[in-house]
Amino acid sequence: MPDNDKLKIAVYTCYCGGNISDVVDCEKVAKAMGSQPDVVVSRTDMSLCSDAGQSQIEQDIRELGVNRVVIGSCAPTLHEVTFRNALIRAGLNPYLYQHVGLREQDSWVHSNDHAGATRKAMHLMKAGIAKARLLHPLEPIRLQAEKQALVIGGGVAGLRAALDIAQQGLRVVLVEKSPFVGGRMAQLEAVFPTHENARDLLRGLIKKVVNHPGIKIYTQAEVMGVAGYVGNYCAQVIQHSRGVTEENAEALLSACQQEVPDEFNYGLTRRKTIYRPYPGCYPPLPAVDWDNYQGEPISLNGGEPIVLEDVPTSVDVNVGAIVVATGFDPYEPRQGEYGYGELKEVVTLPQLIRHLALSKANHALEWNGHPVRDVAFIHCVGSREIEGVDEPHEDGRINNYCSRVCCTATLHTTEELRQHFPGLNIYDLYQDIRTYGRGHEDYYRDALLGGVRFVRYHGEEHPQVTAASAGDTHPVLIRVKDSLTYNEELEIPVDLVVLAVGMQPRQIDKLVNMLKVSRGTDRFLLEVHPKLRPVETAVNGVVLAGTAQGPMNIQESLSAASAAAAKVVALLGRGRVELQPFVAAVDAEKCNGTGACVEICEYEGAIAVQTFTENGKEVKRAVVTPANCSGCGACVAVCPNHAINVQGWTLSQYEAMVDAIASDIPNMAEVA
Amino acid sequence: MSRVDPTFLHEIKEYGAVGIEQCFNCGNCTAICPLASDDYPFPRNVIRRIQIGQRDVLRTQLDPWLCYYCGECSATCPKGAEPGETMMAARRWMTARYDWTGLSHKLYTSTTWAIGALIVGALIVLGLAWLLHGPLVTDQVQLNTFAPVEMIHLGDLILAGILSFFLLSGLFRMFVFHFREGGKWKLPPLSVFVTEAWQLVYHTLTQQRFSKCEGRRRWISHLILVFGYGSMFVLIVLFLTWFQTDNIYPIYHPQRWVGYLAALAIIYGASDALLSRIQKKHEMHHYSQLSDWLFPILLILLAVSGLLISAFRYMGLPLATYYIYVAHLVVMMMLYICIGPMGKWAHLLYRPFAVYFQVVKEKAREQSNVTAGALSSAD
Ligand SMILES: Cc1cc2nc3c(=O)[nH]c(=O)nc-3n(C[C@H](O)[C@H](O)[C@H](O)COP(=O)(O)OP(=O)(O)OC[C@H]3O[C@@H](n4cnc5c(N)ncnc54)[C@H](O)[C@@H]3O)c2cc1C
Ligand code: SF4
Ligand code: SF4
Repeated sequence: MPDNDKLKIAVYTCYCGGNISDVVDCEKVAKAMGSQPDVVVSRTDMSLCSDAGQSQIEQDIRELGVNRVVIGSCAPTLHEVTFRNALIRAGLNPYLYQHVGLREQDSWVHSNDHAGATRKAMHLMKAGIAKARLLHPLEPIRLQAEKQALVIGGGVAGLRAALDIAQQGLRVVLVEKSPFVGGRMAQLEAVFPTHENARDLLRGLIKKVVNHPGIKIYTQAEVMGVAGYVGNYCAQVIQHSRGVTEENAEALLSACQQEVPDEFNYGLTRRKTIYRPYPGCYPPLPAVDWDNYQGEPISLNGGEPIVLEDVPTSVDVNVGAIVVATGFDPYEPRQGEYGYGELKEVVTLPQLIRHLALSKANHALEWNGHPVRDVAFIHCVGSREIEGVDEPHEDGRINNYCSRVCCTATLHTTEELRQHFPGLNIYDLYQDIRTYGRGHEDYYRDALLGGVRFVRYHGEEHPQVTAASAGDTHPVLIRVKDSLTYNEELEIPVDLVVLAVGMQPRQIDKLVNMLKVSRGTDRFLLEVHPKLRPVETAVNGVVLAGTAQGPMNIQESLSAASAAAAKVVALLGRGRVELQPFVAAVDAEKCNGTGACVEICEYEGAIAVQTFTENGKEVKRAVVTPANCSGCGACVAVCPNHAINVQGWTLSQYEAMVDAIASDIPNMAEVA
Repeated sequence: MSRVDPTFLHEIKEYGAVGIEQCFNCGNCTAICPLASDDYPFPRNVIRRIQIGQRDVLRTQLDPWLCYYCGECSATCPKGAEPGETMMAARRWMTARYDWTGLSHKLYTSTTWAIGALIVGALIVLGLAWLLHGPLVTDQVQLNTFAPVEMIHLGDLILAGILSFFLLSGLFRMFVFHFREGGKWKLPPLSVFVTEAWQLVYHTLTQQRFSKCEGRRRWISHLILVFGYGSMFVLIVLFLTWFQTDNIYPIYHPQRWVGYLAALAIIYGASDALLSRIQKKHEMHHYSQLSDWLFPILLILLAVSGLLISAFRYMGLPLATYYIYVAHLVVMMMLYICIGPMGKWAHLLYRPFAVYFQVVKEKAREQSNVTAGALSSAD
């Protein structure tokens, strides 16, 4: 649309089915806007987003030669795209459209001041019209997209996402930090709500992933750097050596003498520094634990001692999108928290699960060689902490969130215990029972029926776990104020205390900085919008899968993983990506390359000063790489020459809006 | 501070409680209960004490006695935890705690013991009758020759004495459990016990709290039963010489209609309870223990055999009268066993006293509040 064409603006004030019109006098607004300069038509509608409403817009464009459209309606997140599409259908550039939020910004917040709301609507609409006059046609940024995705983290969520993406014909690079895939799920036994064995379930999934020709797995690998933008990321992946080969693996494994605590069993057992975490793991080849192997020579069959060496290799992978599936760590209680680390009878739930797996054959539950007659579970350890009550963690934060999985996991474990050890007395110290999933409440019901004694404490007053005095019947004594027993203090003598620890995100600071994704106050990775865009991050092309985003059970982790995969496939499936054109644009005539914009810019590769030769002279000028620019406008604010603007939101457009809002409206008197 | 004890729950189950485990302590039962109050928040508090194993706490409580088992709680409970039945079991357990002989525990928790005790009772009566009966006059009914009234009366009094001794010692223990805490007496002033004594009589006679429960009909039927039984008891223990006589009084004479009325009252009340138990019509009758069945049955047998004695006598059937008389005594003995250590009807005694203690404590607190109020307003 050439600029010198005569402006013909169409203005619509939507009733939003009463949401707006119950408060704002839409007819008066429409009438007042009708007399604004350049406005050729001003209408109201019951709901413009309806088919009829949209056809009206298209008809006006075609029949009246309208070349700018201003609509006052709901929030732009809801229907801006809807109305832009109406413009496209009528043959108009979609960026000649201006959206005005009359609902969220006006009628909903001023519901008890009808006249005031109507005046405000007029000002807002007038500002919209003022901006519309200065709109220019824009084109979306179209980029070639790499039809390959990077999945970071080979837990159940990462595996599922990788498989879903690959099954849609895209290639996947899966990067797993540890030597084996499967993540935390491999450390579980029978899992709720189906009682299937976790590793059996995983094995099926891993088999499909491994056999898929489109998936390349890197274990003992980490992403060291990411450059580029949606559709065209380049990730540097560093992979450590396995340290063993098919040929020497078994011999090295048996010859290796050095032992360290086995993290697979949460330190309950020890393993060698060349190891397989469990039989049937993938990859089946043992690996060297380079963090702990300090170059000790190993003699094979009495031969020359050999020293294993880690020779990391680096690969660059080009991917269009990135799935972050780095998972969780169980909360590690502080020294002395509920006696943890001080009393040997205090363990965490993940530890107990491993302990049970290791001692399945036994007929009686034993701990430290002593029979366990009474056991107590304490819920919410490291979760639902209260500001001012609970001591902050090292980084000053408190875990005030609910870890969601631990209630059902705890009750599920009590069921396992009851089945294997019928004589056991089980106490359950909880704050609330949050067995929210389908079938999960059954665990609570069955625990009650099975004689588990529930004791309810308040988060403000934690149970006290202490060593019992000598000669007592049990080694440990719990004192707890039980709100079910009228806040009386109870004494529970037990042989074992199990802490139902919550979930925390893994240590992934480097990755977070690299990807510039945001984290919530709980430090889990944050989605753009919890309801409307639950697996996407604010960074285009970076999506989240599984417990990296927050506490989830396996089912939820997989739902999230499949959703993330769907997003990736939708983004990259066509081989190109389209981005909004609201990015910085440099006015070549005004720019003299001071570089203030480059300094302020937070987005890597978004802007740079380049040197050009023009008419034999060297000139410096800022150049924007649109795909990397977020359109935040920081550069606009610092440019001394006003040489840079965000397209679609230029300074002059803002000025026009401010002027319009501040000025009077001719027919205003009629309203007040 | 009290120590949890997971075994208590199992112990109470021996006394007939079902489903205590299922209770998740929502408190609906207490909210719906027409008799519970802030100080006596049963049935949930009783259930909780059991779940957590606070024997010593439950032992001191009056709560189980303040419940008349209207069954509202069981009908309301979302978990099917049968709180009403737990209250019933708690009463049995309390009775066994009050009983220092340990017999009551055995009789409640073992069917063998319960039936054994009844058989022993019956054998004793039969044996005594065989040993001590007088000549069997067969040409006319001479009951007082066959069973001299003085002898029977003496036996009655001895039995009543034994029974009273057990019950009163139980009552004494109830008193001690309730008013002694941690080795110290926590007694309201004696004066309040005296001034409120009328409440004891009133509640014994009217069972007035029962009427607060839904179902006035049950209260009336219960009341009729209590009256029938009470008057029969008084007749037999205190006025036997007047009651058991070979003189035939005219039908309008109180000696005759008082007896008939009492018998009919018992038959009505007991059959009502029995029928409800058979049909499981009412919440409280969903679960029945041996003693629950025996009780109405024995009562009916007692009344019926009593009526038969009278009938056979007027019909002039000497042997039939004598045999049915012995049978009547056997039934009576069995009932004594039930009332005594087996204790189902020990509640006749404990319940009014529990209400009495409750009232006394409330009154005493009111008084001390008034004093405290007077003191503070004097400031
Ligand atoms: C005690 C307990 C019991 C549970 N029981 C059940 C149950 O019975 N049923 C159920 O449904 N759920 C259960 N859960 C939850 C279940 O464990 C999780 O939902 C599931 O494991 C989450 O999988 P994930 O892939 O998101 O994370 P993870 O399993 O943690 O996988 C993350 C993977 O990413 C890798 N990784 C981390 N950082 C990096 C990095 N920087 N680069 C590369 N790779 C990286 C890790 O090595 C790991 O392999 C339980 C949880 C706990 C704590
Ligand atoms: S799931 Fe249960 S145990 Fe875990 S934090 Fe939430 S309330 Fe506590
Ligand atoms: S007995 Fe039933 S109603 Fe009463 S607290 Fe327990 S679950 Fe709730």
